[in-house]
Amino acid sequence: MIEFLTIPGVILITGALLLPFLPEKIRPSAFLIFPLMALFVVFTRPDGYTVTGELLNYELVMMQADSLSRIFGIIFAITAFVAGVYAFHMKELGQQSNALVYAGGALGVTYAGDLLTLVIFWELMAVSSTWLIWARRTKESDGAGMRYLIYHILGGGLLFAGILWHLATTGSLAVETVAQDYSVANVLMLVGVCVNAAVIPLHTWLADAYPKATITGSVFMSAFTTKSAVYVLVRMFPGWEVLIWFGAAMALYGVIYAVICKDIREILAYHIVSQVGFMVCGIGIGTEMALNGATAHAYSHILYKSLLFMGTGAVLYATGTSKMVHLGGLFKKMPYTFGLYMVGALSISGIPLFNGFISKGMTIDAAGYAGNETAMLMLLLASVGTWLSVGLKLPYFTWFDKTENDIEVKKLPVNMYIAMGIAAFACIFYGLFPNTLYIYLPFEVDYEPYTIYHLVEVIQISLLTFLGFWLLKKKMAPELIVALDVDWFYRKAAPATRLVFVKKVDEFFDKVEEGILAIARWLSAKFQNPMVWLNPFTKKGNEASNYSPAMDVVMSFILLSFLIFAIVYFV
Amino acid sequence: MKKIHWIILGVLFVITLGFEFTVLADYDSHWWNAIPAFYAIFGFVCCTAIVYVAKFIAKNIVNRDINYYD
Repeated sequence: MIEFLTIPGVILITGALLLPFLPEKIRPSAFLIFPLMALFVVFTRPDGYTVTGELLNYELVMMQADSLSRIFGIIFAITAFVAGVYAFHMKELGQQSNALVYAGGALGVTYAGDLLTLVIFWELMAVSSTWLIWARRTKESDGAGMRYLIYHILGGGLLFAGILWHLATTGSLAVETVAQDYSVANVLMLVGVCVNAAVIPLHTWLADAYPKATITGSVFMSAFTTKSAVYVLVRMFPGWEVLIWFGAAMALYGVIYAVICKDIREILAYHIVSQVGFMVCGIGIGTEMALNGATAHAYSHILYKSLLFMGTGAVLYATGTSKMVHLGGLFKKMPYTFGLYMVGALSISGIPLFNGFISKGMTIDAAGYAGNETAMLMLLLASVGTWLSVGLKLPYFTWFDKTENDIEVKKLPVNMYIAMGIAAFACIFYGLFPNTLYIYLPFEVDYEPYTIYHLVEVIQISLLTFLGFWLLKKKMAPELIVALDVDWFYRKAAPATRLVFVKKVDEFFDKVEEGILAIARWLSAKFQNPMVWLNPFTKKGNEASNYSPAMDVVMSFILLSFLIFAIVYFV
Repeated sequence: MKKIHWIILGVLFVITLGFEFTVLADYDSHWWNAIPAFYAIFGFVCCTAIVYVAKFIAKNIVNRDINYYD
């Protein structure tokens, strides 16, 4: 029992259950204790450490530690802490508890040694994160939250169906590498995981919901759902070739949409799709270097993406809008937020001295070393787009462009700056000392990011992309638009779906109900006086014959039937 | 952008070119290493392509009024 309570995911979920019993004042501080406890456990459990249990005759491995789960565990726990600091001023219990369950779910998935445990934590993530969208309490967030939930129930259902099929065919529940075989079980599991990894065309829940979640909620969301799915892909589906092309396509798709979008948080959401594309591509390549790259990139990505969401969240908090068309010219009013945001932007763009440089290059080079130069060029093209929209377009149209902006700017709580500061420090720290990250990677690292070749490559690409942006920036000017994506099919289909599955079904039930009532009415009228048709000699014209017979007549009728039955049976 | 910023970026670019033609002159791990200043050309061409492709898609296919889904 004690062992069960020391599972990192369970620590956070226990924390979520304890929070409601604490007074409001100490709740934000108490929130921070649980990720730290989980981090302690993550660091102290050696490779091969397991916690087992039994459920319905199945032997469950609820925790299993190794180098891969450790590196994801470290970053999930750290992010839960940093996001907790960012949300320190927020007093809403529902959001606090659900954020802890959400982080606990991600950590639970990371350490799950069997597929049943995994899917339980997986579903916990889906439900708790939905709260973080609905907590925004706007009409848009209500709808987006519902679509998000339905999408994740579908994904979770596919994963669970795959797991059951896998169990039925192999008899194994272990979370282990699956051979590249497109059997029904494997495909169901892969598609279920791909929903959470936002693999196109299953990515629309992300771009739809993340920009509409609460300011603090989206910081948690940027870290856990997609990256826990990346973990499962690294663990179970390394070297599945289909992932190379889906990953590279995701990387480009996200980049193109980020140029089209005009909402700062939507741009970042599409860049999650793009960045996860790098990881998915690396997983598809499947060499040790590529898997190291994907893992390292997931680690770096969680840090800089949470920093970027914190920065844009700060803009939304201060100005009340995330629409670029209302922003611009904020540099004088929010210079520190700009500085901290730019650390994240330089990191995601893979600029030297920042943490994106040490992991993105590894993934791209892994594609090259594996002989896949097409994928390599696609990823390089995607990095141009990343720098273009997150590093240049977004900050330019938010903090510069206009000389003045009379929008009212609210003062930010200090804890927001502290959280952004911690994340920014980590981005620079790992950028300067890559080996502090490399030692935790699942395979031995034989990669040096700071070579002259890499520096020349990145600096040339970045400088000329900057020039391109400067010349073409008017083409990206903010406007009030909504960009349609694949979600159009189900969002516009909603009235038709409602007609077929709700309205028509309702009408059918109404008709059936009326029919049944009509039959009942007819029967009760007929049986009101059975003597009318049982006794052919009844005079129908006689008014008395329409009266119900007295009870004694009915009783004698039953008695007579009983007697006839008895005689027939015994004789 | 002030003039001095452009000068700094220009100098940085010249330095990378300097390295490319001296230290990295014999570097050959991909076919494109034979093309001089490949990464600079790649950056500029790709940036322009992304902007125009995105603009084309936005204008002709995906952009709608902000209240489209309401």
